[in-house]
Amino acid sequence: MKPRTQQYQNRVELLQGTLDMLILQTLQWGPQHGYGIVQALRLNSGDVLQVETGSLYPALHRLERQGWVRSEWKQTESKQRARYYRITASGKKQLVSEASRWDQMVEAIGAVMRGGPKKGEA
Amino acid sequence: MSRFWRFGRRKAELQEEIDAHLQMAIADRVDRGESEQAARQAALRELGNVPLIEDVTRQTWGWLWPERLLQDLGYAFRQMRRSPGFAVTVIGTLALGIGAAAAMFTVVDHVLLRPLPFRDAGRLVLIRERGAKDAKPDWGVPWLDIEQWGLQNHSFSQVAFSEPMSGPNFLEGTSGTMQVDGLAVSPNLFATLGIEPALGRDFLQEPVGAETGKNAGTVILSDAAWKEAYGADRAIVGKSVRINRKSYVVVGVMPPGLDFPFDSSFAFASSAPKVWTTIGLSNSDTTRAWAPYSVVARLRRSTSIKTAAAEMSTIQRRIAPAYTDPRLRKERSDVVVESYAGSLVAANLKEGLLALFAAAGVLWLIACVNATSLLLARGAARQREIAMRGALGASRSRIVQQFLVEGLVLSGVAALLGTGLALSAVRLVRSVKPAQLHVDLSTHVNVTILAVLCGLTVLTALASSAWPAFLAVRAPIEPALKQGGPQSGSGRRHNRMRSSLVVIEVALSLTLLASCGLLLRTVYALRRVPLGYRTDHILVAHLAIPSYQYSGQNLVVNLYQPLLDRVQHLHGVEAAGLMSTVPLSHTFNIHLQLTANGKRIAAVLKLVSPDIQRTFGFKMLAGRFFNKQDTANSQPVVVVNRAFASLYAPDRHDPASLIGKDLFNFRLKKNVPFVVVGIVDNQRQAEIGEPSQPEVEVCLPQISPGSYEYEPSTTAIDLALRTARAPDAMIPELRQILRHANPEFAHATFDTMNQIVEDSYGSQRLAAHLLEIFGGSALLLSIAGLYGLLAWVVAQRTREMGVRIALGAPRGNLLWLVMRQAGAMLLIGVAAGGGLAWLTARFVRSYLYGVSAHDGRTLAAAGALLCASGLLAAYIPARRAARVDPIVALRAE
Repeated sequence: MKPRTQQYQNRVELLQGTLDMLILQTLQWGPQHGYGIVQALRLNSGDVLQVETGSLYPALHRLERQGWVRSEWKQTESKQRARYYRITASGKKQLVSEASRWDQMVEAIGAVMRGGPKKGEA
Repeated sequence: MSRFWRFGRRKAELQEEIDAHLQMAIADRVDRGESEQAARQAALRELGNVPLIEDVTRQTWGWLWPERLLQDLGYAFRQMRRSPGFAVTVIGTLALGIGAAAAMFTVVDHVLLRPLPFRDAGRLVLIRERGAKDAKPDWGVPWLDIEQWGLQNHSFSQVAFSEPMSGPNFLEGTSGTMQVDGLAVSPNLFATLGIEPALGRDFLQEPVGAETGKNAGTVILSDAAWKEAYGADRAIVGKSVRINRKSYVVVGVMPPGLDFPFDSSFAFASSAPKVWTTIGLSNSDTTRAWAPYSVVARLRRSTSIKTAAAEMSTIQRRIAPAYTDPRLRKERSDVVVESYAGSLVAANLKEGLLALFAAAGVLWLIACVNATSLLLARGAARQREIAMRGALGASRSRIVQQFLVEGLVLSGVAALLGTGLALSAVRLVRSVKPAQLHVDLSTHVNVTILAVLCGLTVLTALASSAWPAFLAVRAPIEPALKQGGPQSGSGRRHNRMRSSLVVIEVALSLTLLASCGLLLRTVYALRRVPLGYRTDHILVAHLAIPSYQYSGQNLVVNLYQPLLDRVQHLHGVEAAGLMSTVPLSHTFNIHLQLTANGKRIAAVLKLVSPDIQRTFGFKMLAGRFFNKQDTANSQPVVVVNRAFASLYAPDRHDPASLIGKDLFNFRLKKNVPFVVVGIVDNQRQAEIGEPSQPEVEVCLPQISPGSYEYEPSTTAIDLALRTARAPDAMIPELRQILRHANPEFAHATFDTMNQIVEDSYGSQRLAAHLLEIFGGSALLLSIAGLYGLLAWVVAQRTREMGVRIALGAPRGNLLWLVMRQAGAMLLIGVAAGGGLAWLTARFVRSYLYGVSAHDGRTLAAAGALLCASGLLAAYIPARRAARVDPIVALRAE
């Protein structure tokens, strides 16, 4: 039997590659706090993507360390003090490159699933 | 520091951030119409394991390990506070092991491993002459042989030699006269050793020649002599100083720590102040009968000791025919070349110290085994806690790290305590330091020792904590959490492992106890050897004679006789006598060689005053001892001992038949032969463990300057007093009288005869003391280990015992159940230990006297002691098992 910790941590790391991109994409629309990012992702994915807080905050802090986002404490409309994240210029560049890599991967995976590349295109 | 402060602020911010997240989630749910409480619960569930989130998030910041280490340290200290008994036991155990090992290492390091203060000391060798192979080499070498060696050899880059300056030497310093060791050396000696003076210059390099060479009248001082006599005056170089009233010009001062010879045959401490002058050859150096020099040489880089020895043997065979005396030719026909460093420590001392070092190592091993056993039990007791941590998300490596930190903290504290223990142990060693140990034990625990100590500590920590931690991490989490009571599934394997640890401890302890027993029997046997003289109420003053002050005078008339007259009238003195050297004090021996009817007779010569017999209570077998009528003008007489008489008396079975006979060709210069007037019983002379040598005693008042026997009396003499009061109480008055007789005697050293006897078996006593400590500690540790295991087993099986009693088992059976387990462990341990002790006993053989290394009775006694104390310790948990109240035990379910 595997200890539970292992399973739990696996789930935390599952989305890592794409989560960064999704967060940066969400922040394109304006500064947002952690809870707001979760809500935005859920809404925009039609309730499909449920981001674990256990992955979100490590990801946010990692992005900040990379310099792709910057954070500041602000009041929400309901007077709750919260930490807002804002995308930086280098974050936007990173988003562009990750998005294009994502497109490539989707295309490649799609091609495999459809049964190999079409002749003449290769 | 600011980094940690910032770290703390970031941690608080992260907490606030996640808290804000929670608040917003709750607010959203409340907005959607959920009740406050339901919203909070749902939001919390959605959020997940908050501490884990914080942990993982903080990991992205880096710099987490110092925090974790601090956490683990804090945790370790909290653990120690919570169960101080456990912590004290583990720390005490390890401190004992580390302390013993470090103390022994300090001694071994000082004696065996300390590098000589010479350049490339491994290439320095001693060259000595001997007769046949395996014969004991002679110390002295004649100049003519050294000259030939220098010319003919290809093995050595330098051949140097030296000779102790005759008699005690007195250096006149700025604040009074001090006694120094003096050595006359060949000018190339320091170059051979590869050392240079710290101040001034070396002797001028020139071939050894007559006393009028370039180096004549110059001296080099040792650091100690320079500091003590001249207060480290740097202007001393070039100045004139006086040694034995003769003037010398100081040309150099040696650096501190430099000492040559490293081990002087004179038993002065090796750090005594020294002076070096150069050898001037005299007329006597033109014959080979005059052989006063010891030779030290430096091997060429490409030559091994073996090659050099072979070459030197060949050369010596060519030289030997030049000896005119056939006896000397035979005695000096071969040469032995040996490492200088190796010659400094006697082989048996080396072996003995290594044996003690091994004993300390064994104790350390026992301590480690015991600590492992304790930590293992602890690990079993903490299985639920570890499972809980695992369930809460602690990773394996984190748990192991925590255990390692705990082990490190425990052994770190133990190391500190152990160092303290080692220091006090070394102080103990110094207080019983045997006379043979010509080694400065000033006991600065040096860097090497500290490094070894740290190594031992880390090793101990890893050894004793890795195992329980490893086991704990491998154990599955769920059963540990599910079961209410302590573990029983892995209990059996765990039990067996701890049993084998106890068996190992018992076996190792037995080897130490057996060696200790052998040494105690040795000391007991030595104490019971009949010495042949009384030892109580005798005070001995060791006098170094400033003979330069008495040149042209008769010491006996001008110094000894007046001194004796005064001392005899001192209040509380029953008898007082002079003796060239009192029994068992290792100062010097005078060897007498006589030839009778072509047969050689060897004996020890002692110069004594008549009252010495009354002072020591020597027993007369026949004839008389010296008395007042034996003067310089009466018939010269001698007294011999029983060993002498039984070898050389006309009738071997009747020692008295020697009385009235001439002592062969032994005569004073007036050509009047000595006549034997008495036979004394044997005395133990040099070593208690050695049988008496043939001895000839000459009456001090009968000798006079110019005779063969007079010479030895001019360097040193022992004054012995039989006192009515406590001997120590006489010292101040005696010192007064001595100073009056000659100011130089103010530095005389005093001993009681009892002390001298005790010192003579100092190395056995030291080894016995150390093994008492080691063996006792080992016994204590293994018994504690046994007790700990049984107490744990009984606690584990309380319920089972309760059931047994409830079902009608007699309580005696339960007692027997536990005792049987203890008995099995003890028996296996003692059997294994007996075999081990049998194998290792030969390492202490060099220390033993009057008992065989494989003495069955000692081994049996040690085994019995171990079993008895083991069973006694087992009785406590066994009785507890037998007294289990079934109702209480079952209710605990």
